Amino acid sequence: MKPLNPEFASQWITLLATGMLVVQLLMVVQRMLLTNIRLFALQSLMLAGIAVIIAFSHAHAAHVYWVAGLTLVGKVFFLPWLLSRQVRRIQMEHEIAPLLNASASMLLCGAFTLLGYIVARPFTSLARLGNNTLGVAVTLLLTGFFLMVNRRKALTQVLALLTVENGVMLAAVALTTYGMPLVVELGIFFDLMVAVMVLGLLVYRIRETFSSMDVSKLSQLKG
Amino acid sequence: MNGNVIDLPSSFLLQCALWAYVAGGLGSLIAWRRDRLATLIGFGGATLASGCGISAAILTLAAWPASAGKAFALGASGVPSLPLIVQLDPLGAFFVLIVSVLALALSVYSFGYVRGYYGRRNVGLLGAFYNALLLATTLVFVASNALFFLILWEIMALTAYCLVSFEHERPETRNAGVLFFIMSHLGTGCLILGFLLLFQAAGQVLGNYGPDSYSFESFRALGNSLPPGPRNAAFLLFLVGFGVKAGIVPLHIWLPAAHPVAPSNASALLSGVMIKTGIYGLTRVLFDFMGTPPNWWGVTLLTLGTLSAVLGVLYALMEHDLKRLLAYSSIENIGIILMGLGAALMFLHTQHPVLASLALIAGLYHTLNHAFFKALLFLGAGAVQHALHTRNMEEMGGLIKRMPQTAFCFLLGAVAISALPPLNGFVSEWLTYQSLLQGFGTTGSLVKLVFPLSGAMLALTGALAAACFVKAFGITFLAQPRSEPAAQAREASPAMLSGMGLLAAGCVFLGLFPTALITLFGPLTQQLLGQPLPGYLVAGHGWILGNTQELGGTVSTPGIVLAGICLLPVPLVLWLFFGRRTRVRIGPTWDCGLRGLTPHMQYSATGFSKPLRVIFKALFRPRREMQREYDYSPYFATTLRFESRIEEAFVTRLYRPLKRRILLTSRRMRALQAGSIQAYLIYIFVTLLLLLIFAL
Repeated sequence: MKPLNPEFASQWITLLATGMLVVQLLMVVQRMLLTNIRLFALQSLMLAGIAVIIAFSHAHAAHVYWVAGLTLVGKVFFLPWLLSRQVRRIQMEHEIAPLLNASASMLLCGAFTLLGYIVARPFTSLARLGNNTLGVAVTLLLTGFFLMVNRRKALTQVLALLTVENGVMLAAVALTTYGMPLVVELGIFFDLMVAVMVLGLLVYRIRETFSSMDVSKLSQLKG
Repeated sequence: MNGNVIDLPSSFLLQCALWAYVAGGLGSLIAWRRDRLATLIGFGGATLASGCGISAAILTLAAWPASAGKAFALGASGVPSLPLIVQLDPLGAFFVLIVSVLALALSVYSFGYVRGYYGRRNVGLLGAFYNALLLATTLVFVASNALFFLILWEIMALTAYCLVSFEHERPETRNAGVLFFIMSHLGTGCLILGFLLLFQAAGQVLGNYGPDSYSFESFRALGNSLPPGPRNAAFLLFLVGFGVKAGIVPLHIWLPAAHPVAPSNASALLSGVMIKTGIYGLTRVLFDFMGTPPNWWGVTLLTLGTLSAVLGVLYALMEHDLKRLLAYSSIENIGIILMGLGAALMFLHTQHPVLASLALIAGLYHTLNHAFFKALLFLGAGAVQHALHTRNMEEMGGLIKRMPQTAFCFLLGAVAISALPPLNGFVSEWLTYQSLLQGFGTTGSLVKLVFPLSGAMLALTGALAAACFVKAFGITFLAQPRSEPAAQAREASPAMLSGMGLLAAGCVFLGLFPTALITLFGPLTQQLLGQPLPGYLVAGHGWILGNTQELGGTVSTPGIVLAGICLLPVPLVLWLFFGRRTRVRIGPTWDCGLRGLTPHMQYSATGFSKPLRVIFKALFRPRREMQREYDYSPYFATTLRFESRIEEAFVTRLYRPLKRRILLTSRRMRALQAGSIQAYLIYIFVTLLLLLIFAL
């Protein structure tokens, strides 16, 4: 197979990255847990797509296929499956009212997007693959963080953490062209797996102990 | 391995040593269920490795500069910008020699010593930690990249922590481990900052901040080009960082707590080698990297050394825990080593490279010697502890009759550490005196007063050290047993005895033939000071230890021994002439008319050091408590309870208030700990946002 035309690849990457951003913003306003999980799977799928395009369009980036594969298996199928099972098991499908309401969160996230793009602007000349990837990555990071702060359920926070990680991965894959060394990527993946497992367990325990998933009740544990 | 070019036998041997440590450690861990097998693999591997290490080091030192090994990578680390570069240069080789010789003796000793742990403890784990510590220490001496060095430094500290807390069921041990942990990390923090300063400077010179700018090669190229601000800051940071590990007063408080509680083979390793990594680091950084030093560096080092020497030995004198006594005496000896290094720095400043090389040799030779006799003494103490299950000297006594060979080895070590001729401690302290005394003429400024003052203090230290080891040997081995276990003690096993014998032989050899070894220092001074061995140092065909000048002082330890042997017949002749008419009658020791001598009548460890406790009362501030109960008059007490305790001034005046302050502050900081995840996330988020906006 001949490599893709770089211009064409770049446009696809821009499109997919924008898609990721849109999905992220949807997650900010969405309160159904299961839908949120599906949105996250969609976002991860787009990330995997970006990785595939990079691997395909560059001669020396064969190991990025690994990244794509891992993302696909881990974040598109396995983690969403694990989280949905958790949701069904604890039978709690709605997020309780977030700290900020939907419209205010949306406005704030708009501000974050602006900030992300401003921060990324000096580096746009570096981003040879798609001209918005760093901006999107920073925005994903910031909004993901905001999502963590804004929501109260441990499960949503896990989800938000995963989107933050998607942002980091996007920056790593797209900016450095060949991605980080495979060791580092594998490390991040396993980190994440473990984090999700532990958090999943924690969610279950919190639920059992406090018969609620509200992390603000954790303050009772404080010594 | 990895297809690296191994151009020299020494590099090859070094790799063999490293792999043997790895194999020994892993093997003994795998075989942990079977004590004997684990011992055999663990300590056998270490024995093999130390043999390779000794040969590698001697090959490097003897054949320098033909043996100038290139730096080579041990393997790919898999982590970007962390090359695992090692290089066997003379300074590193010298310290590898120390660690390997010691590892040899300790491993042989361990075959016997760990038998006491069979069935009670995980011997495989002990073997694994032991090998890991040796591996990390050896690598610390040859690593030639700051990042790699720091990682090894941490591994070394962590394995040492594991060894210190090996007998973790006692709270004393756990506390000592935690104290060691905290102090060690304080030191590593300073080291990281110091290396970052050098890294920054090297990066500016090179024009990029890649992996090259924290290789030792580029630090070496820095030299005098460092601006004075960062240079002095780096000096202070390195002094604290390496000083913690070396146990310089006032950073020493972990040492007397941590060394005694480890298993004895490990405490010998900690006191013999691990504190020397601090000396290695200081030598490496100050002499290899930082160019010509300002005068105050040398003065600081010399003063701190003097302080450590005097205070170390004074506190050692007050101890009645045998291993704690040895640990305090390590502080004293580190002080003596530092005096040599400090004097060398001052000579470098005043442009007297020959004297500097003499002082440096004095310091490093004492490093080697201290490794030998301190390890020997710790092994002796370990043998005693093995037999008696106590470290308290008040429960010992009379062991010379029950453990004669251990006693002999301990005596040799005690003579050596008290710097009595003809053993090795004497030689290096003599060299230190020589360099200090000649220092007076090197400079016109008043700073020169430092030299005779510290010389006098060194003399005081020597005398006190002799008193201290008279106490250590006398109370432990002489007179009557003070407890039931002491009366029933049995001689140590052959393996333990041969380990001690090796070290004792080393002490005698280093004392009798210093000139044979001092030629090995040539490459070292050449590398660090650009100065060959002082010309008159080896005189009289190697039988006399000379000086930097032709008419300087000389000493010959073989000569002293020879004179002693020649004088031996004199008393015999005198006895033949005058003594034949006297009759010898053996009777009981006079007991003041009481019925028979009991162990209670002899000097106790506390009693022996009483005069010095009184003389130095201002320093020790002993706390005494006495309670007596009597019926008629206080002179006829029915029961008497006496308690005397000494707490270190540094602990009570410096560390305890500091601890209280820190705890207070952290209690106030707990307001931040709201207990809600959201709050914590907001902290992080706001910081992130601020940093981003600040970066704009």
